[in-house]
Amino acid sequence: MDDDCSSHARTLRIAVFAGLAEACGGRILDLPWAGGRVSDLRARVAATVPAAAGLLARSAVVVDGRHAADAAVIPCGADIAILPPVSGG
Amino acid sequence: MNLVRAATDAVTSRPSAALVRAEIEPERLRAAVADPAAGATVVFVGTARGVTAGTVTRCLEYEAHEPLAERALADLCAAAVARFGLVACAVEHRLGRVGVGEAAVALATSAPHRAAAFAAAEWLMERIKAEVPIWKCEEWGDGRREWVHPEALMQPAPGGEP
Repeated sequence: MDDDCSSHARTLRIAVFAGLAEACGGRILDLPWAGGRVSDLRARVAATVPAAAGLLARSAVVVDGRHAADAAVIPCGADIAILPPVSGG
Repeated sequence: MNLVRAATDAVTSRPSAALVRAEIEPERLRAAVADPAAGATVVFVGTARGVTAGTVTRCLEYEAHEPLAERALADLCAAAVARFGLVACAVEHRLGRVGVGEAAVALATSAPHRAAAFAAAEWLMERIKAEVPIWKCEEWGDGRREWVHPEALMQPAPGGEP
């Protein structure tokens, strides 16, 4: 069932927020992506933006509108958001 | 009979939740939960505090994952109606800059009796602060800006079971 996006040479578009957006230098992070799991995505983002690594470890990953576990496979063309710890109210 | 129907309509048609950029008017929330079946209405208003642990705040700024936050607020409102037997529930949260003293969040709960309305309001605020993807930036008196990210591990999924 593992999706392999390599034939598409895709870019994964990731929405980031608040302190995470600040660390990434913007609210959208585009990463070249050949397929993988949420854990792979975390590793890639941490490697690309080392300043975000600490907050990233405490953040939730949302795939197509639903919270996703680290083992979840990211479908090709998925809509990704990374949510740091919340502070509304 | 009319009262029963009114209460049923409220439950099915009136969990109201919104993210707003203009100033919150608590009276609008109170009116949104008004119902002949209600004997108690609680309105809670959370305002931007001007001093935190001795440090002056100039203003707050909020941002959200808007589709998820709106869905989470609506789900929490509906969950509060079911859990506490409310007649109706309404919540609004500000986005953008919020001046000291202005409402950052407000909610209203109505119920046949006050215990449920008070308990639901407290429960909702706890859940909103812990789960809904909204973030606060403190702009301190000296001009420093700081996003607030509480030291907790990952948040539970919005709308998940308590």
